[in-house]
Amino acid sequence: MQKESEFTQIVKEHEGVIYKITSIYTDTHEDKKDLYQEIVYQLWKAYDSYRGEAKISTWMYRVALNTAITRFKKEKKRGIQIPMDSLVKRKTEPYDEVFEERLQVVYSHIKRLNELEKGLMLLLLEGKKYEEIALITGLSLTNVGTRISRIKQKLKTQIIK
Amino acid sequence: MELEEMQTVWSKLSDQLETQKKLTNKMIIMMTKEKYRSKINKIAIPEILGTVICYGTIVLILANFSRLDNWYNMLSGLISMTILLILPVLSLRSIHRMKRIDIAKNSYQQTLLSYTRAKKRFKTVAKWGYYLSFVLMFAILPVSAKVLNNKDLIADSKSVWPFVVAIPLAIVFVIFFAKWVMRSYNSSINAAENLIKEISEVDE
Repeated sequence: MQKESEFTQIVKEHEGVIYKITSIYTDTHEDKKDLYQEIVYQLWKAYDSYRGEAKISTWMYRVALNTAITRFKKEKKRGIQIPMDSLVKRKTEPYDEVFEERLQVVYSHIKRLNELEKGLMLLLLEGKKYEEIALITGLSLTNVGTRISRIKQKLKTQIIK
Repeated sequence: MELEEMQTVWSKLSDQLETQKKLTNKMIIMMTKEKYRSKINKIAIPEILGTVICYGTIVLILANFSRLDNWYNMLSGLISMTILLILPVLSLRSIHRMKRIDIAKNSYQQTLLSYTRAKKRFKTVAKWGYYLSFVLMFAILPVSAKVLNNKDLIADSKSVWPFVVAIPLAIVFVIFFAKWVMRSYNSSINAAENLIKEISEVDE
């Protein structure tokens, strides 16, 4: 019971992170719901192995991102779904057209990156320091730096295109 | 859009989401239950069913092997059994590799590398699976005619015309089919290869 209430608290605190990961790694509303559930399930499964060596958010990003990239899209049928449309839909009222358009541009830039870069980009946008990015991704600090400058370069090329 | 601009948009999105929290304890607990999960991890079910069918067919051929009384029927039987034996093993092994990745312990890079390698293997197996099933389609014809109807497809044919028509048609079909398989699988195999190269390069 204690474990359950701790876990729900953590997930609630990081709800936004799960939403953002599902937005980046899926294209359809159904896939988004599917991935959302899968992430929560995998977090629950992995929660026992969390020993507190890393910050809870570091652990959470790692498990959620790993779930997103190992999601195999072959199976079309879905499990029983919880009514969770509201979870994967963001309230956009009052509607800010300029912001929504800019957000779509951000998504489209991220979706054009490869899977490794996508994860790095998300963490960078989340305001993570290079040290934490290195911890989550398993890359060395130097590699994180090199890779991020390449992403910046790629983004510039995308803009020119 | 520059990175700094993207960060501003992202931060606004984060603020918005922070004020729109909707998850309830009940929803979270429901999502942790197996029955509510997506069927992603049940991906092996069609493969397992396929394996049962393949192995059932092997048993049927083996039980009636004495009825395959000439070299071409015996050869067809052996080819069919080999394909029916190998294909499911390859397919299930490649799925198992994808499923055994420890996403709780591995880093993003390790997970991505293992998964992309496993996915590439899966696609390669699937591609060869198509080619082999085509061979199987031909190999099993004389075997099933003999086993199920006790009819020798070649010796009992009264006319050569069905073969003269069927063989060129089959060749044309094979060519189109092979091209389609190549087109469908090669791009994803190449994409996986490129990603592996890129991730490994970071590793060095």
